[in-house]
Amino acid sequence: MTPATTGFDIDTWATTALERAARRDEPAWAIAQRRAASGNARALGFPGREQELWRRIDFRTLEQAFSSLDPFRESPPTRNLDDLPPALLERLGSEAGRIGLVVQRNTGVVIEQTAPELERQGVIVCSLERALVRHADKLRDRLGALIAPDYDGYAALGAALRSGGAFVYVPDGVEAAVPIRLFHWLDGTGQLAAPRSVIVLGKNARATIVEEEMSDAAEDIAFHLGGTEVFLGDDAKLVYGTLQEWGGHVYHYSNQRAQIGRGAELQWIQTILGGRMVKTNSYFDLVGPGGQAFVHGFMFGDGRQQFHLHTLQRHLSDHCTSDLLIKGCLKDRARSVYQGLIQVAEGAQRTDAYQANRNLVLSDTARADSIPGLEILANDVRCTHGATIGNVDPEQMYYLMARGLPRNDAQRLIVEGFFAPVIDRIPLEGIREHLRQVIQRKIG
Amino acid sequence: MSTETPNLDLRDSYTEKYGFHDAEQSVFKSRRGLDREIVAQISDMKGEPAWMRDYRLKALEIFEKKPMPTWGPDLSTIDFQNIYYYVKPTSEESKSWDDVPADMKRTFDKLGIPEAEQKFLSGVGAQYDSEVVYHKIQEKLEKLGVLFLSCDHGLKEHEALFKQYFGTIIPSTDNKFAALNSAVWSGGSFIYIPKGVHVDVPLQAYFRINTKDMGQFERTLIIVDEGAFVHYVEGCTAPTYSSDSLHSAVVEIIVKPGARCRYTTIQNWSNNVYNLVTKRAVAYRDATMEWVDGNLGSKITQKYPSVYMMEPGAHGEILSIAFAGKGQHQDAGGKVIHCAPNTSSKIISKSISKDGGRAGYRGLVKVQKGAVDSRSTVNCDALILDERSRSDTYPYMEIEEDRVTIGHEATVSKIGDEQLFYLQSRGIDKEEAAAMIVSGFIEPIVKELPMEYAVEMNRLIQLQMEGSVG
Repeated sequence: MTPATTGFDIDTWATTALERAARRDEPAWAIAQRRAASGNARALGFPGREQELWRRIDFRTLEQAFSSLDPFRESPPTRNLDDLPPALLERLGSEAGRIGLVVQRNTGVVIEQTAPELERQGVIVCSLERALVRHADKLRDRLGALIAPDYDGYAALGAALRSGGAFVYVPDGVEAAVPIRLFHWLDGTGQLAAPRSVIVLGKNARATIVEEEMSDAAEDIAFHLGGTEVFLGDDAKLVYGTLQEWGGHVYHYSNQRAQIGRGAELQWIQTILGGRMVKTNSYFDLVGPGGQAFVHGFMFGDGRQQFHLHTLQRHLSDHCTSDLLIKGCLKDRARSVYQGLIQVAEGAQRTDAYQANRNLVLSDTARADSIPGLEILANDVRCTHGATIGNVDPEQMYYLMARGLPRNDAQRLIVEGFFAPVIDRIPLEGIREHLRQVIQRKIG
Repeated sequence: MSTETPNLDLRDSYTEKYGFHDAEQSVFKSRRGLDREIVAQISDMKGEPAWMRDYRLKALEIFEKKPMPTWGPDLSTIDFQNIYYYVKPTSEESKSWDDVPADMKRTFDKLGIPEAEQKFLSGVGAQYDSEVVYHKIQEKLEKLGVLFLSCDHGLKEHEALFKQYFGTIIPSTDNKFAALNSAVWSGGSFIYIPKGVHVDVPLQAYFRINTKDMGQFERTLIIVDEGAFVHYVEGCTAPTYSSDSLHSAVVEIIVKPGARCRYTTIQNWSNNVYNLVTKRAVAYRDATMEWVDGNLGSKITQKYPSVYMMEPGAHGEILSIAFAGKGQHQDAGGKVIHCAPNTSSKIISKSISKDGGRAGYRGLVKVQKGAVDSRSTVNCDALILDERSRSDTYPYMEIEEDRVTIGHEATVSKIGDEQLFYLQSRGIDKEEAAAMIVSGFIEPIVKELPMEYAVEMNRLIQLQMEGSVG
């Protein structure tokens, strides 16, 4: 990974990352993982345009600026919540102290709080760094288990440079008493943050977890290279929100993976609103009979934003259900690519899988690509997908305007209505309200 | 559905019905393999003008430079140097069946071509290996100025018209196999329908591979002038050999303002044929292009007929059936490209996989900048008949305009137990019930076929359903 155009060198970075990991007493296996990952990153290089998942998004501007990035930027000293950026505090609202909370600022975690109720239940909420020292046994078989170490050059680089991330563990049979929120914040430009988080729900455990990504606004490039691995034990249930709202300078690439056990249920809400160029791969594996996954997501791009969302619904066991709905709205010169795939493995009979992608294009300079796919290797299944791309229905506009609403208000109402079914599924009212405001602001 | 092995299928009866072969008795056969010499030899044998010879040689260079596609079915087993690129069966093209050599005539008799010509068709072309051996069109159409010739004769007899359009829709740089075809093309049809002429009864071409390790590279060019209409039907079969044959055609169609063209394919190659075909049409103002594409045979098929809608009011339609049995991979589909405002398109795809076969839809809906008020709907349904088979759907939608209506829907399922139960409770046995359900599944496309093909298609489906339930 040393393109001639940049002075960046993977080996220097990897060596520094290894030294720092050793200083923090990371277990030997985790250090070995970093070492192997840097080998993979070197061998794989930046993904080429010939790769199907990289044909429709172009990270070259970022790649050329790589030498200006700093993967080791320290977080500012943080004694308590008051030292956090105001925008983050505002989002947190009055909930601080009553929820489980992990805040990552730049490359490291600065706040870790477990609510007393959670502590009594044996729920662990902490930084991944701390967990690697204190709960290594719970991470050993999980960290890196779902994101393949050689998935692509970026994933490998992220594993080599891993900086920060959170660890959440809910023991068997426990229903986490309060929600858990994980924040990622980036200050200014020139950063490269590579957090890796692990979320584990034991058998019959329950939890609500919301992960939020925010930053201030800046001119130059910053890069978030994240990864999250979620494990649901048999009959567990997780409501999981991942809300991305970077400033317009942030390049974002993340790999999200979930493994869903027998009879377990994942409700996953994703929003993609911020960032300059955004690429997210959200995969889940249904590995035990009767597992269920419901994914609801939306993206809203304006300006020159580019979003690429790839989802993979992998049915590896029988009698599982998955239902995925991704809505996209685009204005100005924004561009979105949705690339989805349902895979049904041999023997995964009685699968019921659904995948829908609906796109609303508000300007003639915006562009939406939709590529839903099915690969089915079992016969006793019901697999359906649908995709639509269109503009605001003129009849709906006419209806509203005939009732005296100005064009802009009418359009805003229609777009809000388009997103409402997804927003309604977000578990915390404060966040729902915030998202409505973001949408209003974007419609302008 | 039963978990027992359904062993009777369409392909079993293939050997008996289509899988026979004649003794090889070509008048000329190029040596195996492909190089400049072979390409020049083909051109010399045909006595072509220099521009075509140069075109072929240039295309060969492009073919050699282009990498094999990295997506789709595995084509790595094709050995380009083991193939005979040109096998000339007779010295002359005949206008009467009586003049066709006895062996070949027997073959086409067995396939029912002369009979069909009398009953259903306006004109027939029959290609045997590399060359068209028989060509005939009704006199009254000839008088109206309709041209229906082999592509080679088209070049010879109407060079100006031929040159104006040849390679303009699918340039040799389009893809590796289009380049290959451009280098070694032989046979195929050249059709011109003059302004306002409606050819009410279909024109048909029949393609037969006889020689082992043979590559067939027919080239078809159809020009439908303003307000005219034609329905062109092609069928293809080959003997069942243990080694693989290659069929790589290029079909270019120009549908002028207000005209309509329908192109129907019943592809029933034997299971040892790689069928890698590039088909593309351009439709101008208020013109309609329809592809009806039935893929039953071959080992691997990669074929995505496309319609470029160039001017307002153009309409494109693709109806595709893919059936994949044992050892078959049908990677079928279609592409519609909206290049002008107020254009519309529709794709319906039905695929069936059985006995470990893999059938799929791969398609593209593209709306270019400025193509406002375009409408497109895509419907893909797949039926998987047993647990060893596979179905894939890969639709691509690339939309660069906001005032458009684009929809895509796909479902994959098995034969419903409830449907079976319903029919069985009315006294229909299970096997017949399953066949009825499959017939119903493909009915929206079969009903678009000419009568005799619809009957044939239903018969084929019934045949292959035998023994599959129980």
